[in-house]
Amino acid sequence: MTGEISYPDVTQLAVPFFIAAILAEFLWIALKRRGGRYETRDAVTSLIMGAGSVAEGLLLGFVAWALFMFLWELTPLDMGTSVWAVLVCFVLDDLRYYWVHRFGHRVRWVWASHVNHHSSQHYNLTTALRQTWTGTFTFMMIVKAPMVLLGFHPALVLFCGGLNLIYQFWIHTEAVSRLPRWFEAVMNTPSHHRAHHGRNPRYLDCNYAGVFIIWDKMFGTFVPEQDHDRPDYGLVHNIATFNPLRVAFHEWAGIFKDMRQPDLTLKQRLLYAFAPPGYSHDGSRETSAAIKAAHLARHPEDAGTPGFGG
Amino acid sequence: MALELLLALVLGGISGIAVLLHLTGRSRQAVLGVETSRSGWLRHFPGDKVLKVLPAASGQAALVVTGNGPGLLWAFGSGTVGRHLTGSQVRETATGLRFEFNDFAAPGLSLALPERERQQWLALINTPAEAA
Repeated sequence: MTGEISYPDVTQLAVPFFIAAILAEFLWIALKRRGGRYETRDAVTSLIMGAGSVAEGLLLGFVAWALFMFLWELTPLDMGTSVWAVLVCFVLDDLRYYWVHRFGHRVRWVWASHVNHHSSQHYNLTTALRQTWTGTFTFMMIVKAPMVLLGFHPALVLFCGGLNLIYQFWIHTEAVSRLPRWFEAVMNTPSHHRAHHGRNPRYLDCNYAGVFIIWDKMFGTFVPEQDHDRPDYGLVHNIATFNPLRVAFHEWAGIFKDMRQPDLTLKQRLLYAFAPPGYSHDGSRETSAAIKAAHLARHPEDAGTPGFGG
Repeated sequence: MALELLLALVLGGISGIAVLLHLTGRSRQAVLGVETSRSGWLRHFPGDKVLKVLPAASGQAALVVTGNGPGLLWAFGSGTVGRHLTGSQVRETATGLRFEFNDFAAPGLSLALPERERQQWLALINTPAEAA
């Protein structure tokens, strides 16, 4: 199909809103003395990661765009640009986000890109902007290919992806406790996403949703935030650097260091790149499944509760 | 949005937020005592058995002796980070100890430790776990 369609770059347009919202959240926390915490270097690192991610999009966005336009030329379908087409595209893109995000936690190659988003021990609106610089290298843009082949114009697909990211900005806060039950049932909320950012064994590999939490409920990955087990933010093995370059590339460095170890089989080298994070050929590290099992060995009373098979 | 405007917004936003946070006291480092170090270590390594905790007088870090060997917990902004010292290099410097963790996500750390404290730490670091 051919056709010139353009949509605004909503992520860039939202920058003033991001700054205003961060200031508002900070003032709210400072005045109320609750609802989260800010730390200077942590926040600055997150903001630089956000700026770098936009720059990466400007520099390397042409790779995904070229792929999508190639597919657009191939497909005989055209869903158009009606309101219904935009709505369907938005929902399908959110399903696409769920799976890319799930791969991002279960495949180390993709985790290497996504890990920096989880690398802060804080959870506030700046954490939302701690975005990857290396997304292009995961090749996860391929997951958008079916949408283009279904007849959604690449510009529309990218527009919906931008809206999805903007929605996710406001849920990175401790200032909002819980929202009305109907909203919590359908939408991704601060509460659901706090659980996703928790490094507690209970919350590992849960709540991958972007906008609609229903995907987690459909695919069995939903874990509600527990008042008696508040999320402890960060990574299982927290990084010890505020240097944006180390934040952006530390897991890639880890992959290549692991793959270069002597006396590994080819399969073991590949598993270091593509197995779930925590894989090791000699069992010296723990995957999320092993971490949950070790937790249950220490706390058998948690068996059957949310996040532990409940 | 024009690139110049985007750049101005991003640079101005980051700088403004950094200054605001610093001036309102959000740059303070965590201070580690015995109990905060113990709980901090177990937060990072819940499977460890903590045998001994030796906070630096400065409160900047603590040496934690565990059943899995010695480890270092240190202030990282208002939080903490920890690393086991197995596989790390520790050497004396003119003012204290230098730790190299052989970890891209944890660049080396220099700690200022008075002579007596430094020797006490070195002795514990070099003590086999079963003897600690």
